[in-house]
Amino acid sequence: MNISQTSLALQNLARRTFRTYALLLAIAIVSGAIFSTSTLMWGVNSSLNKGLSKFGADLLVVPKGSMISMKSALLTGEPSLFYMEGGIMEKIASIKGVKSVSPQLFLTSVDGDCCVMGNAFIIGFNPKTDFTVLPWLEEKKERPFQMDDVIVGASNSYNVGDTLFFYGQNLTVYGKLGRTGVGLYDNAIFMNIERAYVMAEQSHNTPNVKPLKLVRGQVSAVLVQTEVGAKIPFISFTISKDPDVKVITAGNIITSVRQNLVTLFGSTLVLSFVLILANALMISAIFSTIVNERKRELGILRAIGASKISIFKLIVSEAAMLTSMGGALGVFLGIVIMRVYQRTIIFNLKALNMPYLWPPVESIIMLASIAIAAAVVVGVAGAFYPALQGSRLQPYDAIRAGE
Amino acid sequence: MANMIDINDVWKIYDVGGEKIEALKSVNLQIEIGSFISIVGHSGSGKTTLLSILGGLTKPSRGSVKIDGTEIWNLNDRQLSAMRNRKIGFIFQFSSLIPTLRAIDNVALPVIYANGHGKTSRKETYEYAAELLSTLGLGRKLQSFPSELSGGQQRRVSIARAFINRPTIIVADEPTGDLDAQSEGEVMEFFSRINEQDKTTFLLVTHNLALARMTDKVHSMKDGMLTHS
Ligand SMILES: Nc1ncnc2c1ncn2[C@@H]1O[C@H](COP(=O)(O)OP(=O)(O)OP(=O)(O)O)[C@@H](O)[C@H]1O
Ligand SMILES: [Mg+2]
Repeated sequence: MNISQTSLALQNLARRTFRTYALLLAIAIVSGAIFSTSTLMWGVNSSLNKGLSKFGADLLVVPKGSMISMKSALLTGEPSLFYMEGGIMEKIASIKGVKSVSPQLFLTSVDGDCCVMGNAFIIGFNPKTDFTVLPWLEEKKERPFQMDDVIVGASNSYNVGDTLFFYGQNLTVYGKLGRTGVGLYDNAIFMNIERAYVMAEQSHNTPNVKPLKLVRGQVSAVLVQTEVGAKIPFISFTISKDPDVKVITAGNIITSVRQNLVTLFGSTLVLSFVLILANALMISAIFSTIVNERKRELGILRAIGASKISIFKLIVSEAAMLTSMGGALGVFLGIVIMRVYQRTIIFNLKALNMPYLWPPVESIIMLASIAIAAAVVVGVAGAFYPALQGSRLQPYDAIRAGE
Repeated sequence: MANMIDINDVWKIYDVGGEKIEALKSVNLQIEIGSFISIVGHSGSGKTTLLSILGGLTKPSRGSVKIDGTEIWNLNDRQLSAMRNRKIGFIFQFSSLIPTLRAIDNVALPVIYANGHGKTSRKETYEYAAELLSTLGLGRKLQSFPSELSGGQQRRVSIARAFINRPTIIVADEPTGDLDAQSEGEVMEFFSRINEQDKTTFLLVTHNLALARMTDKVHSMKDGMLTHS
């Protein structure tokens, strides 16, 4: 004994189960697609922002030839093999507004059999000047980082305390980094830059390994941190006067990935909006049929006291209930599919130079709410005109219509 | 005594493909509060048209329709809907139940449009709905869906529904058309009782002259015109 406008609408939906399920599914597919796409976009975007801001470097100075590959290196973790002279660091450090400067050295043999372990790359860094690696350690360490220590990125399978063997050297895993969303860091094995130089030298004497083409004092990248309020474009410009180097700013990397994002997801989004429109038209067509079928009932409701507005609300709320359920189902299916195929998805995004971190729960909830709200809008917009027609029926004519 | 219903010079002209059908021609009708009148007439004479105009369901082509002193066709939709909901109980000539609702819910249905008027609680409404159905001999069919009821039973459910908001006027279009003599007698007895108890005004359309003669006054309708006998 619970009769209300809502239960009336629900019972109407329950009456034609096939039609209701078909509509539900159609709405679910569209909302699910929109929800998943926006979640993935959000993930790429926020991991970019998060990764690069936490990355801590305002500028990245790299040898000229590595400019492009460097961008992808940061994001997906394929290091470049160009080196420049370390002397540049002093020049950079002397520029007004530069707070700290720290080198990094990317090591890998040309065919990648010496020091690339699965997806891991070796990066030499200087623990004394570093400001981008050590802050990422998952836990605080009691002892300082030493010559035979390594730090592993979050995507590595090594654990703290494990021993690694490189070029005849035993190295101990000192710590593990939290997930940065910066591909290069998540896949890396960090070692003392001094140890890296030694290793490069020893590679010439070790049998069965390709020697590393690297000379002491060379670096792959210089990370630059600026003082608060420093004029970054000015610093970037000053450094760029050196014809052998290129400057990458965080913004510049984000822009290039955003462009990829836009091409990849933009078309998906356009398609989604087309689908939304198609959904709304479909709802419109079907609700117009529903109103026609139910003319007589609507007339009866009018006769017993339903105002035009109540009739309008009845039809619109029926559509809104249907599409919101469809939206919720779509979000649910989207989550299930993204979970099941998450490896494949991340792999494919990486292939497109896109880093990926799942957005935080709040963001997912927000995107889900937006997808469901959009579905409700589709329902309301689609049923609007049929509902208006239904509400405008003259009660007596409507009742006679069914006879 | 004051008039509950006051109809003056009401016309209804239908335009069917360019052809004008005069369903009502200058109808005048005054009905006092608490009276029980009947209208008889041949099929197609305009009885249902007249009822639907005074029930607020069809707009007259011209003329004045006052219920309880209010010119109903000057009301806005909300006011007119409220009037249909609270003042008028309409019993249709043909089945008029909502197929997705059980008998008891069909009877209680008008209450959802009453917007808390009359201040009856949900529980009281359902109690009254059950009482009405029992009075009409459907005490065992409260939970049945319309499709599970016979034509006569469906008719009685819609009769019960007309009374749920305790209207001041009952407009009944051949309410006993598909009832057997006994049920018909019971329904008429129920009508008389409510008419006497609550001073509810009744307007009954019937083909049954014997039934009509039991009412206070019989009007007859012919070719869209009302004559008083
Ligand atoms: N919506 C309409 N459009 C066109 N003509 C109509 C309409 N409604 C009623 N009519 C015509 O008006 C006339 C009166 O019809 P009405 O239904 O009032 O008759 P009635 O007296 O109730 O007949 P019955 O006893 O068969 O129910 C008929 O000629 C009918 O065809
Ligand atoms: Mg009739």
